[in-house]
Amino acid sequence: MTAEATASRPSRSGLRWGRLLLSDYAVLVLSAGWFVGVMPLAPGFATWENLANLVGGMLPLLVVATGQTLVLITGGIDLSVTSTIALASVVGARVMSGDSGWLGGSVLAVPAGVAAMLAVGAAVGGLNGAAVTVLRMPPFIVTLTTMMFVSGFAIWWTQSRNIGGLPAGFVAIGARTLPALLVALGVAGAAHAVLTRSLAGRWAYAIGHNPRAAFISGVPVRRVTLLVYVACGCGAAVASVLYTGRLEAGSPVHGQRILLDVIGAAVLGGTSLFGGRGTVVGTAFGVLFLGLLDNSLNLLNLSHFTIMMTKGAVILVAAWMDTVRRRLDTA
Amino acid sequence: MGPPENRDAEAGKLTARTQAIMKRMLPMLRGIGGLALAAVLGLSGCGRPGGTSADAGGQGPMTVGVSFETLQTEFWVAALEAFREELGKRNMRMLEAVADGDANRQLEQVKSFITRKVDGLVVVPKDAKTIIPVLKSANRAGIPIVLFNRPPDKSEARSVTVVADNYAITRATVDYMVRQAVRGGRKHKAMILIGDLGDINSIGRRDGFDDVVKAHPGAIEVVARIPTEWNQEKALAGVVNALQAHPDTSFIFTSSDFLFPSVVSALKSAGKYWKVGEPGHVWLGGFDGDGMAYQMLVDGYLDADGVQDVYFEAAAAVQAIVDLKAGKAVPERIEDVGFVIHQGNVKEMAPRMWGARTRRQGERPPGP
Repeated sequence: MTAEATASRPSRSGLRWGRLLLSDYAVLVLSAGWFVGVMPLAPGFATWENLANLVGGMLPLLVVATGQTLVLITGGIDLSVTSTIALASVVGARVMSGDSGWLGGSVLAVPAGVAAMLAVGAAVGGLNGAAVTVLRMPPFIVTLTTMMFVSGFAIWWTQSRNIGGLPAGFVAIGARTLPALLVALGVAGAAHAVLTRSLAGRWAYAIGHNPRAAFISGVPVRRVTLLVYVACGCGAAVASVLYTGRLEAGSPVHGQRILLDVIGAAVLGGTSLFGGRGTVVGTAFGVLFLGLLDNSLNLLNLSHFTIMMTKGAVILVAAWMDTVRRRLDTA
Repeated sequence: MGPPENRDAEAGKLTARTQAIMKRMLPMLRGIGGLALAAVLGLSGCGRPGGTSADAGGQGPMTVGVSFETLQTEFWVAALEAFREELGKRNMRMLEAVADGDANRQLEQVKSFITRKVDGLVVVPKDAKTIIPVLKSANRAGIPIVLFNRPPDKSEARSVTVVADNYAITRATVDYMVRQAVRGGRKHKAMILIGDLGDINSIGRRDGFDDVVKAHPGAIEVVARIPTEWNQEKALAGVVNALQAHPDTSFIFTSSDFLFPSVVSALKSAGKYWKVGEPGHVWLGGFDGDGMAYQMLVDGYLDADGVQDVYFEAAAAVQAIVDLKAGKAVPERIEDVGFVIHQGNVKEMAPRMWGARTRRQGERPPGP
């Protein structure tokens, strides 16, 4: 081997770093590095109390981002998740509320309310899925208009009023860390199992890579795509259960401002905006990093504008890394 | 899996590709990394007095966590600045957070303040109901909490609210306008821009307007009530449509000054934007006391404005925390009675108008 060839050969550590930077674990390493780096600068950051608060706040985002990951893997996108959260929240509260709910005070209030919330999520997801698969409309415009319609409906139906008086049993699901953790891990675990251990999961990736090739190979593209949107809607509804319980009120604007966090967490975790790539574990890391970033920047007492700019820049870098990965895959 | 030599070849190819791309990206990555580091560490270093690395719970000056729901309008930015100023005057430290309209984020941020063992909390709630878990968390931690601008719903949680008397300030403003406008037996067709009806403040302002108008039957006829949901585009569309349907409208009240750009734009399009005293002048009134309202008063286009005394409110909120911390009794609700600024008292009242101050600060040339 010549000296020139030896020089052009990549070093092992360079290879390792290059792979790590472009792998799904990059964001986990980044989170660990951020945690260690910020710990001495942000007072109270590494306390148990703060970490429990951080985890509690992240769980609804993990659930909704998990659903979004499924859709992104198939090459779609669901912009209506935030308004699904809002509509499910007010429908559930209208069923359960002790003040004005249809089943207020009944033992059936909580199960019926949660079922109604999940039904809302499935219905909105089904509507999106049908428009994308049957009418062959672009997911972006379908879910954007669904977002506007559903959000407008929730505000009109409640006249912008929040609904309180929720049963204690329901509030405990979102307000207490352990039940919320079990719900969130259950949803994320189920989605992870479907993606990694089932035929449906492999079909979802195949659709994301190339829907036409997947169809020719016998993948039921329409059915799988429709089911993925329904699952995403249900994920948003479960997140709504956590948000509504945590805040002890149904609100037509719950989750209205988290869309960038939802998509950003998935992309940060390595889910491709071009489809065919992504994992629930990666999304969980993305949620963790966004949570750490938000929490630590607040503890550093940075201004709101700085926090927004930093988060925006981080998500932009993640989207750029996605493009780099895609280029590597196709090179 | 192929033989080892094939794996080496594949690894070599991947590495070469990765390296080629990384080589091109490296300068950009360095730039982005540098910017992020500068943004985070630089800004935290040259930040405000609260941005220290010492724990808030230690010995030293009192620390107050201030959580705002939004900074999207001039009013909230001025209010945050008023708190910064008030706490600075008292040698107290301020930690700040903005929830960007998300009640869940606000709960998380306040809990972060609690873990830092702040001495007091000032919160502008997202709304009256979702603030209740925040109040409960503060109560459990034994930290005094003051709500700014929006009172909570009834619950067992304890708090103090500092709030402008929206009804009284609006009533006084509209009363001044009507008394001036109906002089000589003149009659007017009126329009009101209403805020978000889920917001108790906008209901107070609407009721203040309605009660004055009811007291002058025959002189003021309300021909348009525009629901804006605190949205400028909706306000513009509503005023344009109402002016087309009722071109003889001669009296407009907006429930917030931040809707004035929409009102002025619609009036200009309709050829109805004239100074006070000029023929065709439409009587204009608003609520808040922002910079645009101040400029319109100075330029002679605005008749009257109900002003929230932000400086009084900030001082009252901080005083409430000090008193609660000292174990003194504080009323559950502290009201700001505000004031009306109009063409007759602009010079006298402008120093108390927060918008006048922000407008003058904006006019100052940037420092060295």
